[in-house]
Amino acid sequence: MPHTDPIPQLAAHLFREHSGKMVAVLSRLFGLQDIDKVMDIVQDTFEAALTSWRFSGMPDHPPAWLMQVAKHKAINYLKQEQRRSSAHASLPAIQGIEQEIEPFFAPGEIRDSQLKLLLLCCHPVLSPRNQIALTLYVLCGFGVPEIANALLIQPEAAKKILTRSKALLRREALPAPFSLPVLSPERLHTTLMVLYLMFNEGYKSTRKKATIDNDLCYEALRLAKLVAEQAGTGGEAEALIALMFFNLSRFPARFSLTGTQLSLEEQDRSRWNKVFIEEAYYYLGRAMPQQPNRFYLEALIASQHCRAACFADTDWPGIAALYRQLERLYPSSMVTLNRILAESYLPGSRSLDDLRGLRSSDLEANFMLPAAEGDICRRMGLMADACDAYTRALALAATPADKEFLAQRIAQCRMLFS
Amino acid sequence: MKEFLMLIREDLDNYGKMTPQQMQEDIERHVKWVETLVQQGHFKGGNPLTPAGKYIKSSERMITDGPYIEAKEGVSGFYFLLAPSLEEATRIARGCPSLDYGGMVEIREVILTE
Repeated sequence: MPHTDPIPQLAAHLFREHSGKMVAVLSRLFGLQDIDKVMDIVQDTFEAALTSWRFSGMPDHPPAWLMQVAKHKAINYLKQEQRRSSAHASLPAIQGIEQEIEPFFAPGEIRDSQLKLLLLCCHPVLSPRNQIALTLYVLCGFGVPEIANALLIQPEAAKKILTRSKALLRREALPAPFSLPVLSPERLHTTLMVLYLMFNEGYKSTRKKATIDNDLCYEALRLAKLVAEQAGTGGEAEALIALMFFNLSRFPARFSLTGTQLSLEEQDRSRWNKVFIEEAYYYLGRAMPQQPNRFYLEALIASQHCRAACFADTDWPGIAALYRQLERLYPSSMVTLNRILAESYLPGSRSLDDLRGLRSSDLEANFMLPAAEGDICRRMGLMADACDAYTRALALAATPADKEFLAQRIAQCRMLFS
Repeated sequence: MKEFLMLIREDLDNYGKMTPQQMQEDIERHVKWVETLVQQGHFKGGNPLTPAGKYIKSSERMITDGPYIEAKEGVSGFYFLLAPSLEEATRIARGCPSLDYGGMVEIREVILTE
């Protein structure tokens, strides 16, 4: 019993990370038709750890312990199945199972299985939200309540999404051992896009007390690294990782001590995580695409903010130019909005007029549009107009953090014009 | 020092409903608690029990899966605690993390027959 030694600490989220690994290996063995059986075995493995580690302490190598138990459970299940399917199964065939499945447990093979499973979860027939939910469930060890919390939906809704998505997987997947899908550039791109959305989901919904949203960001980062390690994406995966690190670096400064959301201007830049910024530059250097892709341009924009020692030093002409490039390559009203905001810091801009052009776009019901208007008015000293715009934004905002931020802006503007 | 048996009773069905993260947190809390017990010299031993078990009743030797028809609750594990008195053992047992998840503990002094 290891009780006299210092207690070994479990790695943060060990179970979640290894849940994904075990699911990847087991679904390779069983095929995705049996995804529920796979999830059962993984759950059983954790329960075995729960009962045994609680009393007799942690094993020396928890990850190896988990994988070993999962392997035994898988072997037992396969043997049972084999006996059931042929009452006269010869003994050698049953014994052969162990040698047959061994190669799937090699580290490189596990990572490969994870990548393939990830590509499958990010299947184009699923909506982006369902792709995220399924990825969290299958590869990130998220339970139903955690998915609901992360995606701001009801647990019942999360459950339904999973049931439907799993049914789709079963229809799409090939029988075991699955070799699908091919690592085509399109599928890899879709997958990175899902990870990008997963990260944003975590980033925007961060609430002060729930750390789960941070987790969503870290899971997205972990999976993006998996893609970068296992597949060539022409720098796209590296660019996405750089973008994620730049954004993560600002996490510690995003909220005030009292828990209010802070704008880029208000953040204490000394609290930005320097290690993450270095990581970001490292990946940005490796990203260098021949054709600038979306993630690369966004990472460059994020790097501009991280480069400025203070808000006043921000290179707005440079940022506006990058947004214009992004707008040309990937036109969307959100990019246009950001471009207009960046330009509003340049002399002679007509940003309020430009914003009006977006009113009939898909941003119509998005609080970001009136919030941007309020921001520009506030900086122009038009406090009454700013107040009015922020109030419209408040009516559209969904997350508590956004609402609180807007309410505070309204209060500030009101003080200045009354 | 006297010896006490601490029985943990839990809803055994609950295990299947915990998410991986919750299970990991539960393990970490238990390990930490045992660590404190060991440091303070209150820990003698303990082991988990599998949820499945059999019950044998009365002279007919009736064998069933559980003592109650509906109940999913059962003994999930036991500890041997060292403490000077039942009161002290009770105070120690109050720190058991299982209590935070709807569990129940029973503390009984062991009569040492040696």
